[in-house]
Amino acid sequence: MAKDAEKERHEDPDGGLNRRQFFVRLGLGSLAVAGAGTAVFAYQFLSPNVLYEPSPIVNAGKPASYPTDSVTLDPATGIFVVREAQGFYALSAVCTHLGCLTVWKPELGIIACPCHGSQFKPDGTKIAGPAPRPLPWLRMWLNDDGDLMVDRSNPIAARQFVRI
Amino acid sequence: MAKSLTAYLDELRDSRVWRSIFRSGPGQSNLHHALVVQSNVFLHLFSVKARKRVLDFSVTWYLGALTFGSFLILVITGVLLMLYYHPAVPLAYTDMKDLQFVVSSGVFLRNLHRWSAHAMVLLVFAHMFKVFYRGAYRPPREFNWVIGVVLLLITLFLSYTGYLLPWDQLAFWAVTVGSNIASAVPVFGHRIRFLMLGGNLVNANALLRFYVLHCMILPLTAIFFIAIHFWRIRKDGGLYAGTPTTVTEKEGER
Amino acid sequence: MSDDKDFVAGFDSNARKAPLRVAFVTRRTSPQVKVTDEEQLMTHPGVFFRVAIAVELLTIALVTLALLWDAPLEGLADPMHTPNPAKAPWYFLGLQELLHYFPPVVAGVLIPTLVVIALIVIPYFNINIQAESLWARDGIGRVRIVAVVAVVLCVFLAVFDVWVALVPTVIVAVFMFVAARSSAPSVPRFRRWLYSKPLSFWIMTWFLAEAAVLTAIGTFFRGPGWSWVWPWRS
Repeated sequence: MAKDAEKERHEDPDGGLNRRQFFVRLGLGSLAVAGAGTAVFAYQFLSPNVLYEPSPIVNAGKPASYPTDSVTLDPATGIFVVREAQGFYALSAVCTHLGCLTVWKPELGIIACPCHGSQFKPDGTKIAGPAPRPLPWLRMWLNDDGDLMVDRSNPIAARQFVRI
Repeated sequence: MAKSLTAYLDELRDSRVWRSIFRSGPGQSNLHHALVVQSNVFLHLFSVKARKRVLDFSVTWYLGALTFGSFLILVITGVLLMLYYHPAVPLAYTDMKDLQFVVSSGVFLRNLHRWSAHAMVLLVFAHMFKVFYRGAYRPPREFNWVIGVVLLLITLFLSYTGYLLPWDQLAFWAVTVGSNIASAVPVFGHRIRFLMLGGNLVNANALLRFYVLHCMILPLTAIFFIAIHFWRIRKDGGLYAGTPTTVTEKEGER
Repeated sequence: MSDDKDFVAGFDSNARKAPLRVAFVTRRTSPQVKVTDEEQLMTHPGVFFRVAIAVELLTIALVTLALLWDAPLEGLADPMHTPNPAKAPWYFLGLQELLHYFPPVVAGVLIPTLVVIALIVIPYFNINIQAESLWARDGIGRVRIVAVVAVVLCVFLAVFDVWVALVPTVIVAVFMFVAARSSAPSVPRFRRWLYSKPLSFWIMTWFLAEAAVLTAIGTFFRGPGWSWVWPWRS
């Protein structure tokens, strides 16, 4: 036993390893590699590769179905389709605070969130409440059939209207 | 000639079959009482004798034992509820309705599970405050306190994951808000939320993950840490009973 | 003068017959002082029967609750319709109330993390192990420090409009001032008990009071849109 310990401490004068040290390092190194590999594979396993979720692209229908100066909530897809004099735009209806679905209050002219009282103007800017950011504008365009299309995964800078 | 019940029991405990299982034989002596504890795989976690002072109600209010008791009720009612629950959307909700109206004792088991869950959270907080206020976290019991905090977190996560399972409005939006809070963690927030929900939305994947967490992963983790928690009580010298009353009266006099 | 030792050493008068060393631990530093003459009883049945009774009483209470009151079940989960208000379970309502004042990073991540870390490190700090009264040394100076800290805390809370959290802060500060002036033996027992409490007691009590108040507000005083409601009026 003492001899083994001695061997472990006995190093080559030019800094090499003895056999025991080499195998210990080889073993620990392999364990580290295996551990890292396991962690990577575990993370990949836990992150699903296929999601059964609806497409972010929404067909909002014909422009004519929206009256002028209107704010229409589509709760199924979580967007507001707004028609103003300058044109159309789409807002995300998901409150930027903690993800609750906001509602349009026509009598007050504001968009309100029921969870913590955040309030927004129809153009998405925040009036009151704990929401940190305004409601994002979403990319909107007209497809070949003349339908309004909205991409919920694609926020754009504000005040970009779609004119028809 | 009629023998008393005790006599019959003694005869039973003297029988060959009984002795092969329990090994302690009949009798009420201290030796027999010691053997009950020592020769039992579950009970030999306890010491054979206990200090009388520690068993006074005012010392611990038995909060630790009550927390564990509520955990046992939750495990039993939980397993029974699992027999009638499918972790699928929207089957989970219809199963809740079934449990309420169709399954015999379903409404009772569900209620008991729910109220025991609230009780366990309340008791675990009370236990923590009681341990703190009587100073039972001080050396050599520091690490057991840390284990206790871990158990507190496990209890809260168990309650939170269970909250989603009925798949009603209350459940869905509580988890929506909670997962959005998780995404507020800097740098890794959105990845944490994605792993937690198994996706971007609270849907079937999220329900299944919370179900596995609630019924398998977290209970096993809890049992693991409960075992360490109880073991450490023994290793740290038993429950902390405080110093005898003659000393505490002198506390304020310095 | 050398600093106070935690013990005083003494000798048995008959050192040759009974060679004992006796150390008197004069300050409550650690519970490792063993009292050898403790009265003991057998775990079976002493401990088991007591614990069984406690758990049985708990079971009876919970079963009674389960028989009398149904657990809530709202409508089917509807991603298109957020209920108003959308409240977390009661043990998270304190946190949800905090979310009203601070952004999610602070109220949802930072504060809970700091609280958990603070809890974990409690037994590793000497201040939590010594049980001497907060006012035993430099009582007047410490009263001043407490006053300053209380004022700073109240200002901080007021700046963020967390008015509800001011209430427990002020109440605990008042109790601390009362405690500081309760060392005389003629003072009622409760005040003397308060006087004997160390700093760790006051910090934890403040934390417990804040948690209780925030949870109560979130439970009873918050309605649709997380607006303030008086529960007796709704």
